[in-house]
Order: sequence, then C-alpha cells, then structure tokens
Amino acid sequence: MSSIVSDLKGDGSTVMSGRKMMPPVVRGLLWALIAFLIFNTLISEVFDRMPYHPFVTRASVTVGWLAAVCAWLLGVGVWEGVVKPAFGRETHWETPTDWRKYFMYSTDHRVIGMQYIFSSFGGFLIAGFAAMLMRLELLNRNLWVFSNPGAYLSTVGIHGTVMMFSVGTVGLVGGFGNYLIPLMIGSNKSAFPRLSGISQWLVPAGIATVVLSPLLGQWTTGWRGYQPLAGQDPAGIVFYYLGVFALTTSSLMVAINLTATILFKRAPGLTWNRIPMFAWGMLTVSLLNLIWLPEIQMTFLLGLLGAIIPLPFFTQVGSPLTYLEVFWLFGHPEVYIVVVPAFALWQEILPVMGQKTLFARQWGVIGLVFVMILSGMVWAHHMFTNMSNGQMLPFSFFTEIISIPTGFAYLVAIGTMWRARLRLTTPTLLVLMSLFNFLIGGVTGVMLADPVVNLQLHDSFFVIAHFHYTIIGAMIFSWFAAFYYWLPKFSGRMYNERVGKTLAVWIFIAFNAAFFQMFLLGLHGMNRWVPVYPGYLQPMNFEVSIFAILLGIGFVLHLIHIAWMWHHGPLLNDRNPWRSKTLEWQAASPPGAVNFEKIPHVVRSFYDYSDERMAVEEPAGER
Amino acid sequence: MGDIIGFVVAWIVVAVLGEWGVSVLKQHSLYYYTITTQGLDGENAFGFIITLLVPVFAFIVVMLLYNMIRFGSLKLQAQRSPKQFYNNKVFVSVWIVISILLNLLFFVHPTASAIEQMFNSEEARYNRHDLIVNVTARQWQWLFSYPQYGITQAQDANGNSVLYLPNDRTIKFVLRSYDPFHTYDPNAGVVHSFWVPAFGMKQDIIPGETRYLYIHTNKITSYSVNPMVRVQCAEVCGPGHPFMEAPVSVVSNADFQAWVAQQKKLQS
Repeated sequence: MSSIVSDLKGDGSTVMSGRKMMPPVVRGLLWALIAFLIFNTLISEVFDRMPYHPFVTRASVTVGWLAAVCAWLLGVGVWEGVVKPAFGRETHWETPTDWRKYFMYSTDHRVIGMQYIFSSFGGFLIAGFAAMLMRLELLNRNLWVFSNPGAYLSTVGIHGTVMMFSVGTVGLVGGFGNYLIPLMIGSNKSAFPRLSGISQWLVPAGIATVVLSPLLGQWTTGWRGYQPLAGQDPAGIVFYYLGVFALTTSSLMVAINLTATILFKRAPGLTWNRIPMFAWGMLTVSLLNLIWLPEIQMTFLLGLLGAIIPLPFFTQVGSPLTYLEVFWLFGHPEVYIVVVPAFALWQEILPVMGQKTLFARQWGVIGLVFVMILSGMVWAHHMFTNMSNGQMLPFSFFTEIISIPTGFAYLVAIGTMWRARLRLTTPTLLVLMSLFNFLIGGVTGVMLADPVVNLQLHDSFFVIAHFHYTIIGAMIFSWFAAFYYWLPKFSGRMYNERVGKTLAVWIFIAFNAAFFQMFLLGLHGMNRWVPVYPGYLQPMNFEVSIFAILLGIGFVLHLIHIAWMWHHGPLLNDRNPWRSKTLEWQAASPPGAVNFEKIPHVVRSFYDYSDERMAVEEPAGER
Repeated sequence: MGDIIGFVVAWIVVAVLGEWGVSVLKQHSLYYYTITTQGLDGENAFGFIITLLVPVFAFIVVMLLYNMIRFGSLKLQAQRSPKQFYNNKVFVSVWIVISILLNLLFFVHPTASAIEQMFNSEEARYNRHDLIVNVTARQWQWLFSYPQYGITQAQDANGNSVLYLPNDRTIKFVLRSYDPFHTYDPNAGVVHSFWVPAFGMKQDIIPGETRYLYIHTNKITSYSVNPMVRVQCAEVCGPGHPFMEAPVSVVSNADFQAWVAQQKKLQS
C-alpha cells in the first residue's frame, strides 16, 4: 500500500477512483507544449510583433516559457493535487503503488525526496557530461572538440549553472533533506507537503531550460551571468535567467518547507538540544537559502528585463561593478549552501560508525551557525582584482576568520574518531576523503583570502581547483557517503562493501590527481574560460583531462552500483544495520505506509553511545 | 597517553618533512616565474602562509590517517567503543585559541602588511618618474601606447600589439576598457583583466573607469624566454577571450631606447 494514499486521505482533499488518465509526465509535457505555442504566438504575432516578425522573440519566449512551466506543473498533478481542491472541487487522482508514483505530483515527503534525488542525479549526469566535453577540449591546446570558443563557453556556463543550482544546492537539501528530515525529527509528514510537491517539478523544468539555452543562442558569461558581457550575449542568456529562476524558486520552497518542518514538526521530547546534526545542517542551509535566494532572483530578474524589454539597469546604474557586487552577495553564501550539509553529514555519520559519543557537539552546532552568519560578510573577496584597495581589508578579515567556525567541523570529527572503534565502511571512507579534500580546499582558501596573493591567483585555474575541492571534494564525496549510509534505509538492502570501497578509492585518486594539478596550472599562468591556451600548458592539461575522465567514469560506476544494489542487494533482516540511535533508523527500512505508527517520544541524546539505551522511549516494534 | 605520543611523533615527522618540501619549492619559486618586485612580495606572502599552514595541514592529515589506521576496524558488526567522552575542554580551548591567533596573525601579516606595502608603492611621491603605459582593452585586443615617447600604438612588424618594458624601472599602467575604433557606442566595453602571469598580480579593467597598476621590473626576459611573460585577459569577455594576449619583453634601457626609435620610425 502506497504511503501517498494514506497521506492524501489524511488531507481529505483527494478522492481515489479507477479513472484512467494519461501518464502525468506526458500530460505535463503536452500541456507545456500547448501553453508555449499559445502564449508565444500571442506575444510574437499579436501583441508584440517585431520587424520581419520572427516567430520566437525574446519577449515571446519568456512569456511562453512562463506559461509552459505553469502548464507543466499543472499537468504533472498540481491541477488535481492543489488547484481543484483549493476551489473545493472533487478530484480524481489515482496514485499507483509502483515506480510510477515517482513520475507524478506527490505530497509524500519520501516520494518527493526520491524525486529530488533523481532530478539532481540527472542534473549531475548532464552537467558532468558537459564537464567531460570541456576536459576533452582542453586535452589539446587548439580547438578540436568545439568549433568555436563561444560553444565552449556556453558549455562552461551550462556545466556551472546546472551543477550549482540543481546539484550543489539540491542534492543534499531537496533530496536527502526532504526524505530524511521528517524521519529524523519523528514526524510523519513535512510542514507544507503540497508546496513541497510543487517545488520538485520545477527542477527538471529548470535543468531542461538551461540545457536548451543554446537553442536561443550562445552565452559566454559562465554561471555568473556577468554584466555588461551578458547584455551583449545572444538570446541564450534569457534561458539562463529563466532556468535559474525555476531552480532557485524550487530551492526557496524547499527551504520554507524544511525550516517550518524542523521548527514545528519535531516529536515530543526532541528539544533544541537534541536536534540531529543533519537537521541542524538543513536548518542553517535553509535559512541561508531564505535570506539569499530572493536577492539573486531579483538580480536575475533585472538582468532578464534588460534582455527582453530592454531595461538596462546594470549598464545604466553607473558602474558594471553593481552587478558583480549583487551577484557575489549571493554567490558566496551559495558555496556555503553547498558545503554546510556536508559538514553536518560528517558529524552525523562518524559517531554512528565509531559507535562513540559525538565529541563537543555544541561546538559543531556553533560552527554551522557561525559559518551561516559569516558567509554573508565575505562576498567581495571575489572582487579583489576590481575593488579599490581600501575595501579589501574587511573582506579579507572576514574571509580569513570564517575558517574558525569551519574548523569546528574538523574539531568535532576528529574528537569523535579519536579512540573510537571506527568501522571502515564505504560511508566512513568517503567521509574521511571528504574531510581531506575540504582541508585542501580550506587551506588554499586561506591563500586566496590574502589580497596580494589573490591578485595573482584570481581568475586562474588555481581558483577552479580550489572551489572544485570544496564542492566535489567535500559536497559530492559526502553526497555519495550519504547514499551508501542511507541505502539500507531507502531500499532495505545493503550495497557491496568491497565494490563500494574500491570505487571510493577510485574517485579519490582520480579526483585528487585531476584537481591538484589544476593548482599548478593556475600558478603556471593558465587563465579561466579558455578553450585555446599556450602550448607549454598542454602536457599537464592532458594529464588533468585523463584523470578527469577517469573521475567521471568512477562517478558513473558508483551510480550503477548504487542503482543495482537498490534492487538486487542482499536483503537486510535488520532495520538498523549501523546501530544508529537517530530516529530515522527506528522506523522500518524502507519505511512502511507511515514513518511512525506511533510518534516516538525522545528522552535522551541521539549521539550518546556511552550505553545501549536508545534515545526514544520504547522504540516502536523492537526487533 | 601512548596514542597521544604516537600521534605527536607522527605529526612532527610529517610536518618537518612538509616544511622541508616547502623550502625546496620556495627555492624553485612558488609562482614558477616572477619578474616584478610586487610579484615577489606576493610570492613571499604566499610562502609565509604555506609555511605556517604546513603544520596545521599535517595535524589534520596525520590525525585522519592515525584515526583510520589505529582505531579503524574492518569488521562490520557494531561494537560500542570502549572509550566514551563528550568533551575535552583543554583540547577544545587550545584548538579555538590557536585558530583565532593564527587568523589574527595572518590578518596582520601578510594580509595587512602586504596591502600596506602595495598602498605605499602606489603613492604619488614614489611614482614621479614612472614609465607610463596606456593600456586599452577592447574586444578582443590589447592596445599599448607610450604617451611620454609619442608612441600611439606599439606593434611588431606584423601589426600585432607588443609590450616592451625597460628593466629595473617602475611602470605605471593606465588601464581603460573601451573600443577606440567604435567610439560611437560608449557601452560596448566589457570587464577585462590585465594579467601578465610573470608579474605576479593582475588588475581588472572596468568600462567607464580608469585604473592603475604599478609594477617594478627586475629581470631581463621575454615571451620567448618564458611564456608566462605575456599579457593575457583573465576575465571572460566573450568568444575572443582566449585570443586576447600579447607578448611582453623586458629589456635593458639601451635596448628600450632603440625599440622606441624603431617604433617611431614604424609610426611615421
């Protein structure tokens, strides 16, 4: 019996019946196509005819896109799930119990979490493919994969945009957050299930928009959409603005939902002092999202209006630096939105794997919160090369001291592992690798925080290596750790430990071999955004490309392994294979129709392994 | 206690080896190739940070490895760790104090001290006899002119822009981004970044603003000696971005005068 059914019945808004309908995703695509054609035609042929009346103009494609996204959302089920019930109408909405439930609108946080995980993996594969194309191009100093630099730069932009907005900010938050947070805080649903159901379907729309942007023309700005260059670019930049708008709106809805869930849906006894570390991570990240996403949405909206009306705000406001400032005002919190969940995961997984009490937990929480606060005060370190000297010092100061709360994550991790009986499972190994990689990212971050050093390293491959160490090295490695750690929870099955570890070592070696050499490339004078570069840099670029491609293969093999074990791994006869005390493992694996038949009552810490007592009063259904 | 001693010994060994490696790297130049005093200042700051961070880096890496090897277990069965503790106030206090002190130190030196030095080198009183080079960045070309010598556009025999600089001289680059061939569109300019990797620093060029970059050359060299001696746009400026480069030569004063005379002949 699907859990969606019971959830919907609980909402009392949807009535089941046996009526046949088109598969929701197909219906959504069809409705989107129809809506696009209608609204695009209205604008380009009726309301806003241009000279030589092209069928698709910048204005028409924007309005057509808006209509298409709304129609897509309605088509996948928002019509029956939200709109009709809102007007008191009876709806007929059949929810299948098999895989098809993942391909339609849902209000079940676990289904939504899985949908987010699929979507962000899709984004990861697409943007990863773009990265492979880029590295293939850089294998050789001349243009040989792409026919022109603009095509290369568009690929760079698609890679960065999709990775940032559909993987970095989504994978651990929309995916694991939606699935696990209600389980971890002892709730059967999230605070705003309908909102959450809508938000997921914006992700595929956003990814598709960004990926299809070359249909409208190249854009050469990279993921930042820098003005005034963006103002010169052909119309592809319009789909960049629109795609990012869809993706950030999705993340904003996730943030609202997760914040409210953590604040208001906690089980009795789950006090602020007992909030799980991963939930702390989700809470801080969600607050960052709530603060900064609206800011960047307004910026991109102004950029979009500049492209379609035109309303040249950023070129007429006085200085092109305005755009850079408001972009990085969001841009730096963004990288902490990506990495803070990883910090939280280290502190979640290590005590379980070591069966040892979490060390200095309060400092771990303080670290997460202060990283969140300070991340809004460092943005202009992205602009040392173009700001006046007098502005450098404060930003350099805050950038350096953000390493203090970041270090607390290490303090907690190290103290927890010390003298533990640390089980070296695949998640443990990936967490250790993530700690190592982020250390390199952090140390090079201290170098980049120094303005005089930054003036040499900025906009070079050193910076590329630095932020890939923090994003792939920390976040993606932790993301895979999370997959292996919670695979038994999702599927009730276990992965193959030997395959998992071998592949973990594989990606660790390939990643470090590829990206460490990028530091050297940067120091040696390799600048960013170049498909063509001087010959002396070719040997090292060749090596980087080979290892990068091996890294890509390693990631795909991980995915194949996880996907295979999801359905064919050995079945567990234990709901809690890691012997964790956190709440999500007290529910069945995989959870049944509802997470908890009886809402658990929390009586002590989840991270105290000094005795065998569980953190909940009479864990439901002792096995 | 045994674990602590074992760890500390391993940490010291790795840190010392690391420092030795860094000192070897420093002798080979951390920036590969630097031809300005400003670049050397940056390189020294870089070296100072690395030197201080090696023990920190070694602490964490050795800790991760030590934990993994000493306390790691390949058995999958969960077994409670015999040692359990919530906190260690001494360790946490030392950690926090050291991380604060290290950050304050980095802020004072090299951050503030090196910026101070940079401010100073840009003071007008130190720059009365600079060679002025006007740099114009257009999409996608560098244009160099030498107003003190009446050279309006320095170029080689093929018409490609070249940058010639005398050795042991302070150069004041005046940086502007606009298209002198399309002056009817004042908004055509985009952000560029003036970067000679061997200079050890760069400066972005913002349309509508005039910016300055001061360097003091200290080595006779050229693009053919080391390809890092080239002007390269470092900020994405459209499809032509990778091609926006120009070779640089740093020559003796006599050779520079000869080059000026040759440029003037070319111009007339």
